[in-house]
Amino acid sequence: MMPLKRLLKDKWASVSLAVVAATLLIGVFAPLLAPHSPNEANMALRFAGASWSYPLGNDHLGRCILSRLIYGIRPSVLWVLAALGASASVGAALGFAAGYFRGKIDAVIMRICDIMLSFPGYVMTLAIVGMLGAGLTNILVAFVMMKWAWFARVIRSAVMPLADADYVKFSKVLGMGSFAIIRRHVVPVALPELAVIASGAFGSMILQISGLSFLGLGIQAPHAEWGMMMNEARAVMFTRPELMLAPGLSIITVVSAVNFLSDALQKAIDPKLMLTGKRAKDGGGKWTSDLGKKEVA
Amino acid sequence: MLGYAFRRIVLVVPLLFVISFLTFILNGLSPMDPAEVVLHAQGVPVITDELIAETRSDLGMDRPLLVRYGDWLITCLQLDFGISFITGDPVWSLLGPALLNTLKLTLVSSFFIILLSIALGVVCALKEGKWPDLSIRSISFLLTSMPVYWLAALLIGYFSVKLDLLPTSGMNSLGSYVLPVAVIVVGYVGIYFRIIRSSMLSNLNADYVLYGRACGMTERSLILKVLRNSLQVAVSVFGMAIPIVLGSTVVVENMFAWPGLGTLTVNSILGRDFPIIQAYVLVLAVAFVLFNTVSDLLNAAVNPRLRKEF
Amino acid sequence: MKRNKTVALLASLLVIFLLAGCSGSDGNVKQEGAQEQTRELVYATAKDINDMNPHLYPGSMSAQGMIYESLVENTPEGIKPLLAESWDISEDGKVYTFHLRKNVTFHDGEPFNAEAVKLNIETVQRNAAKHSWIKLSTMLDNVAAIDEHTVQLTLKQTYYPTLLELSMTRPYVFLSPKDFLNGETKDGVQGYHGTGPYKLEEHVTEQFAKFTANEQYWGGTPEVKTITAKVLPAGETTLLALQKGEVNFVFTDDRGTDSLDVEAMQQLVDSGDYQIVRSDPMNTKMIVANSGNTDSPVSDLAVREAIWHAIDRKTISQTIFNGTEAPAETLFASNVNYADVGLEKREFNPETAAKLLEEAGWTLSGGSEIRTKDGRQLTMKLYYDVNSNSQKTQAELLQSEAQKLGMKLELVGEESSSIANRRSTGDYELLFNQTWGLAYDPQSTIAAFASEASYLHTTKGMAQADELYRKIDEVMVSTDEETRKALYKDILTIVHEEAVFIPLTNGSVTVIAPADLEGISFKQTQFELPFERMSFK
Repeated sequence: MMPLKRLLKDKWASVSLAVVAATLLIGVFAPLLAPHSPNEANMALRFAGASWSYPLGNDHLGRCILSRLIYGIRPSVLWVLAALGASASVGAALGFAAGYFRGKIDAVIMRICDIMLSFPGYVMTLAIVGMLGAGLTNILVAFVMMKWAWFARVIRSAVMPLADADYVKFSKVLGMGSFAIIRRHVVPVALPELAVIASGAFGSMILQISGLSFLGLGIQAPHAEWGMMMNEARAVMFTRPELMLAPGLSIITVVSAVNFLSDALQKAIDPKLMLTGKRAKDGGGKWTSDLGKKEVA
Repeated sequence: MLGYAFRRIVLVVPLLFVISFLTFILNGLSPMDPAEVVLHAQGVPVITDELIAETRSDLGMDRPLLVRYGDWLITCLQLDFGISFITGDPVWSLLGPALLNTLKLTLVSSFFIILLSIALGVVCALKEGKWPDLSIRSISFLLTSMPVYWLAALLIGYFSVKLDLLPTSGMNSLGSYVLPVAVIVVGYVGIYFRIIRSSMLSNLNADYVLYGRACGMTERSLILKVLRNSLQVAVSVFGMAIPIVLGSTVVVENMFAWPGLGTLTVNSILGRDFPIIQAYVLVLAVAFVLFNTVSDLLNAAVNPRLRKEF
Repeated sequence: MKRNKTVALLASLLVIFLLAGCSGSDGNVKQEGAQEQTRELVYATAKDINDMNPHLYPGSMSAQGMIYESLVENTPEGIKPLLAESWDISEDGKVYTFHLRKNVTFHDGEPFNAEAVKLNIETVQRNAAKHSWIKLSTMLDNVAAIDEHTVQLTLKQTYYPTLLELSMTRPYVFLSPKDFLNGETKDGVQGYHGTGPYKLEEHVTEQFAKFTANEQYWGGTPEVKTITAKVLPAGETTLLALQKGEVNFVFTDDRGTDSLDVEAMQQLVDSGDYQIVRSDPMNTKMIVANSGNTDSPVSDLAVREAIWHAIDRKTISQTIFNGTEAPAETLFASNVNYADVGLEKREFNPETAAKLLEEAGWTLSGGSEIRTKDGRQLTMKLYYDVNSNSQKTQAELLQSEAQKLGMKLELVGEESSSIANRRSTGDYELLFNQTWGLAYDPQSTIAAFASEASYLHTTKGMAQADELYRKIDEVMVSTDEETRKALYKDILTIVHEEAVFIPLTNGSVTVIAPADLEGISFKQTQFELPFERMSFK
């Protein structure tokens, strides 16, 4: 894997990768790592400062902020990643189908894509939350519904030239089935592209979900989520500003790492890209597809 | 070009129909029976099943879906989106002014996003790899990774409270624009200036620059030429930026109590005011499609190669 | 070297931003009329004042209270004259004759007279279905204008709280008949001209509403000439606006929304610019359980009692309210009329709660964390006002306590109007609420137990519901003080035993005002503030 090697050569990219990987691991093993139960209220410790048993202090219900931060990784990062995975698989499957089989399938899928893309992401999310009610699940559903179209579009354009390529035609003559061809020739080529888009969307999705939780439309109490923690801290923002610090810095760290990784990944996969902007010559398509995923929360 | 424009516009019509139909269906997702919603809005205290059935037929809800959709579409085209569940006011009388306020915020922000993106993009491209490029890129990188509400809180705390320069919230004077616009601009410039930058770079490395240089063109006129070519890309990019900003001012509006669409929608969601949510989705989706079309047309006008796509 | 350059760059970037910002505002950022601000009040409100039609319910009551007036006023010393100078009640208690104050005009110059009273009351009566919570609306037989300044109300039967209900903020208040739409007010009105101390000058929806002093006010022109209601999100935005002087007045609004936490308020007072004034306990904050929701565990008495026992009122009072609100053990505080009936106190005691649940068949089985009974989970939704921080915190605290008992509470934050809607349609399990305040307690709040628009769903699932409704009807028409006392005692005992109204704390109205504002006082209702009595030093 050349790209991966190239990626790890970049010192900052390695650091970012380490940050992201560590975050994911801490999230997965939250019950083992968190010093306290994230939802256990203890009013005697309301707004208590840092102490040995509560290293980051306590919130308005006397809950352990560190534990909430650790558990908060799950909805803030892990579930977002899962939603991303779901929409990437849906999008990739449909995109492959469209680009590979062409014809009517292509036309239908691409029209649906056009429609999905004509709904701005935030608007669609708010629509779904508005109709189905606030909650993490509904937002994740909205994410999957919104994002697959971007994946489908890009995968389709990645697959199309391949479908025409001589070696694929040759395989067809040899009698290989469609799926075998996809696996052999299309997957290895399209996968890096997929990774670039997915990692690019990841950061903005983390920001969006925390933004919605911040507005009280996301995850519901008592579950810990970084945006939700900010929401809770917001009420005492100017009497106890320190409560905004921990979740805020966590989001910034993780999102920066993810974004940096995304850029590095892009560079590693196509080293000339960042320096010469070679892709720029291909026309506006690439950038416009970049735009949709980068919405600021 | 005319042919392309015609084809592009014709394509929008069915899209608008599909979008409006989806929005119409969306309403069916809500847990509330529309008949019940109407009865609530009229303030009827005791809602019996018979009354609901009666209202359903009054509303024509026993007719086929497509017929109802047609009627609904016609009323929507007259900007009649029904009445708010909470206040009983016509939805448009709430949505209209809010839309206007959000548009103001969006347009001012977009203006600065474009201005700053071009300025920073050009600087970075010309100083590629040198300290201005590197530092602008890393700072913008950090700013893009910041949750907007966090940034907003910091700015309010510093500029409004500590320095007492700007209002904390609302839309009372021109000063009210400064902080919300700054927060939105900071969030997007980081994305858009990079596009200008790489577009500039690709043009700087293009053969015609080498040729121009060889022919003894001045550096100044070369850069101007490159800039002109790069801005072609910018047109389509910024055409899309405006609707994206329009759709995502929600958090900023809530932070600054901006009386716009975002604030209205979040309040409507929390108050389960379905008619407003539906109208919001429809209006923004249509705006998004129209902006996209216009930017595509503009783009095609400056970049003939793109016209082939359709 | 490199670092220096970065710093320089950062600085220049900041300058660019500032320039960008300033050119957008032509550098003209001024504090709006700093000297004027001392002469006017700007209060923060989480919700728009909404429709000011006094004969309907969406509008802000505190705003309506400034514009409109009723015939009589409820004071700590009893009913006092307002628009009626005096009144006579017939022997049988069925005919009320009011002698109206002379030389009173509506804000649009129309005279306030017997005809105006008749038109207003009649239009309210024609929309009686909406006013069923106020029993007088079902008791009124007719209104007659005897002469220019005398009005006679005839009731179908004797109804002792008549004057109390006529004193309420709505609906029996008076709008200029010229504002009626086709002779009615139920489909909207053309203007908002009352007789009150303030006129509505300007209203920009979701932004602000400006009220100016009524120079022709019969009680004398109010000292504070301008009052502005500014829509601001609750919490830190309001706090900031107070610190900066963008608003200078905050009070517990008519939905009981306390937008600032106690600590933030104290900080404002410490700054020296503000004062806090608290009314005496005015109402009881509570959680209302929907006994009529038979699909929900909340229809089970044991569950309601367990919730009651799971609430640590003392901690809530001390931590969330910093001691400003006392724990409440019963629906009505003992100083409320007829309410001192010696009900048994349900202490905070998780063990008792667990025992109650266990005995009622809600058991923990197979290592699960939530109790079940007949395959049903002990899970309920608790609705709170998103604009009220204290409700949210209390909900979270209760949720945590309940979790330990094996009871799962799902918290849902909604706008107050949506919660009010849930209450009247019965689409809830548990929700935060408050009794209606001294002027309404107990008679109106109790009448509302049986009203579809209010607490019918709360009470209708109780075993003794029919008996309760019968007694409520009886008490309202009772003429004998002793029977009334006995009936109230029965009513309060029934709802207490059924644990449908779970008390939390005794709430009061809190005002944060500029330190030099004098004459801050309260009415007998949490829904209005007497702005006309305030003045600057």
